Amino acid sequence: MSEILTEPIENYALSKNARPHMKFSKVGIVGCGSTGQRIALMIASRGIEVVFLEISQDKIDEAYEELEEQLDEKINHWGLTESEKTLILSRLYGTLDYADFAACDLVIDAILSKTREFSKDIRQGVFKNIEEHVKPDTIIATNSTSSVITELSAELKYRDRCVSLHFSTTAPDATIVEIVRGLYTKEEVCVNVRKFAKLINKIPVPVEESPGLVSVRLGVSLISEACNLLMEGVATKEDIDFVSRKGIGMSLGPLEMADKIGLQRVVRWMDNLYNEFGDRKYKPSPIIKKIVRAKHYGRQTCEGFYKYDGLGYKLKDQSKEVQCPND
Amino acid sequence: MKILVLNCGSSSIKFEFFSMGEETVLSKGIVEKVGMKGSFLRLEKNDGSKVNFTGDVLDHKIGVEYILGVLSSEKHGAVKSLNEIKAVGHRVVHGGEDFSGSVFINDEVIEVLEKNVELAPLHNPANLKGIYALQELLPDVPQVAVFDTAFHQTMKPEVFMYGIPYALYTKYKIRRYGFHGTSHRYVSARALEILNKKPEGLKIISCHLGNGASIAAIKDGKSVDTSMGFTPVEGLIMGTRSGDLDIGALTYIMRKEEIGIETTSILVNKFSGMLGITGVSSDMREIEEKAGKGNERAKLGLEMYAYRVKKYIGSYAAAMGGVDILIFTGGIGENAIDLRKEICKELEFAGINLDIDKNNTRGKETIISSEESRCKIMIVPTNEELVIAQDTFEIVKDINYSD
Repeated sequence: MSEILTEPIENYALSKNARPHMKFSKVGIVGCGSTGQRIALMIASRGIEVVFLEISQDKIDEAYEELEEQLDEKINHWGLTESEKTLILSRLYGTLDYADFAACDLVIDAILSKTREFSKDIRQGVFKNIEEHVKPDTIIATNSTSSVITELSAELKYRDRCVSLHFSTTAPDATIVEIVRGLYTKEEVCVNVRKFAKLINKIPVPVEESPGLVSVRLGVSLISEACNLLMEGVATKEDIDFVSRKGIGMSLGPLEMADKIGLQRVVRWMDNLYNEFGDRKYKPSPIIKKIVRAKHYGRQTCEGFYKYDGLGYKLKDQSKEVQCPND
Repeated sequence: MKILVLNCGSSSIKFEFFSMGEETVLSKGIVEKVGMKGSFLRLEKNDGSKVNFTGDVLDHKIGVEYILGVLSSEKHGAVKSLNEIKAVGHRVVHGGEDFSGSVFINDEVIEVLEKNVELAPLHNPANLKGIYALQELLPDVPQVAVFDTAFHQTMKPEVFMYGIPYALYTKYKIRRYGFHGTSHRYVSARALEILNKKPEGLKIISCHLGNGASIAAIKDGKSVDTSMGFTPVEGLIMGTRSGDLDIGALTYIMRKEEIGIETTSILVNKFSGMLGITGVSSDMREIEEKAGKGNERAKLGLEMYAYRVKKYIGSYAAAMGGVDILIFTGGIGENAIDLRKEICKELEFAGINLDIDKNNTRGKETIISSEESRCKIMIVPTNEELVIAQDTFEIVKDINYSD
């Protein structure tokens, strides 16, 4: 059989206009912990290549392993086929070197946030490192809700390219992305980021620069009030969640939601909001702090407000001892 | 008259370029991965040689532009100038209740197509993108829409309605539409042509068995029933689609597996059918191979597949009061010898007698029933692109350009 000829398609355009090139064919992510992984999967499953940066080869291997586990979980629950999994994994690439972001059109910071001040310094460093290695028009974004994008971009050369891009990872099928423009952010960047959101099948929601945005501030308040109800002995935790689900129509009750998000993360969010607004309503409830001190972080450690099996399912018998394979 | 046929999917554009009158194919191909990384255009010229064109194809419009560019290029083209393309025919998946035949595309038609997007959110938007692209790139060339659903618009209300509250029909047009209409129409007409018969008084059952599969009951040349319904999931067991399924079982599964609407849809569309039953593959050849080596589930899958088809043939024979012609088409219908045998087994009471020797053939127009069979059993390879070209030709040649 004769060999099949291959030619570049650009030569066959009807008009001589320059062909626009695919934007967002490659996206970078800094930090591939649980949040970074969720974002990576959202993007890679929409056909886009993802480069994620971690601090050690061990962390990269760990991330690969967890990414694969999450995809297997989806397969087990009919959300994905084996061949789709192979395809998605082939689009994920872990690296230790910022230089691998060179071809990315967008780089998202998804590192773990500690306290706000601490995180601001680290994130500013991350932003600078990214800028050193990417094209001048690459969009640099943070997934953090506590950092103010204007602050993070202040020391960059091209600070008009920065934006906050907060992916909701709480609800099972969250379809929104909160987009915050900073003082310097130029319109073109916002337009492109909205396009990107649609590309990965999310609805972009414009939000003003304010710690916690909408999703975190509301979520945290709900959890906080649920803790108050629990402390005052108004209802059992099961009934608080039950009423929220059946009476208010949430897909998860606030305490189940807190377990899913990770209790240490909830506490961090609350601390940040409390520091920022100084309002007591954001002060982390003693009841959560107590559980966190016992190193019970929710689903990931198999115990939080509730007990779980290794796959994140609530144990039928809550009086049983948990044995967590994740430890 | 040279006619371009386009079939725009959500991320692909199939094209076939015809010279009508002679009905010859000048060139054909496909643009794949539109809007994704790794997009390319694969061209198959009429001398059989193939060319791959690689590069970014951001959207359907750019894809169509490249198709036109390639077709009119000096090196690989089929025409010297784009002026030679006299009409474009589009495959449109869902015509809703508005179209019972192919139509010339004008502003009103586009408006109705936009309205019908709700009924086929996966397919119609892509079809529309192709139409808009052509309007922009070749504004003076007439375009025709050929619908997958149109042929089945002759079904009567007692056939197309579901046993659910009538208000759901008035509110959302929930009813059975049927698909593969272009294929059922082509093979039934072609079978009559081969047999040199008129459609009047004849009862035809046509089995389109491909990756998707459906059966149609055709009386007097008109579709009276078909196995696919509101969506292409209903009816036969397919490669990865479940076909008929108790809704009670589905809601039970949703509760037990704690899955939502989207995942449930993936479950019945991508994990079910032959793939789900056999655990082997959605590919019939692989399943037959495994069954031959004794794989029990592969055997079960094949038995279920044949049984479901047989059941539909029986019910359509009952619906029409008999069957005169039984047609097999589609990748599986044209090629799966054993499956046809299994389907026709014990249908002798309905006058269906397969000739085992004649059945031993693949992919050719053949009569495979025995001499004494009351019903003619036939293999008729489908050709949906040709039908689209023919319809386009018929509609366009009647249009008066002088005004």
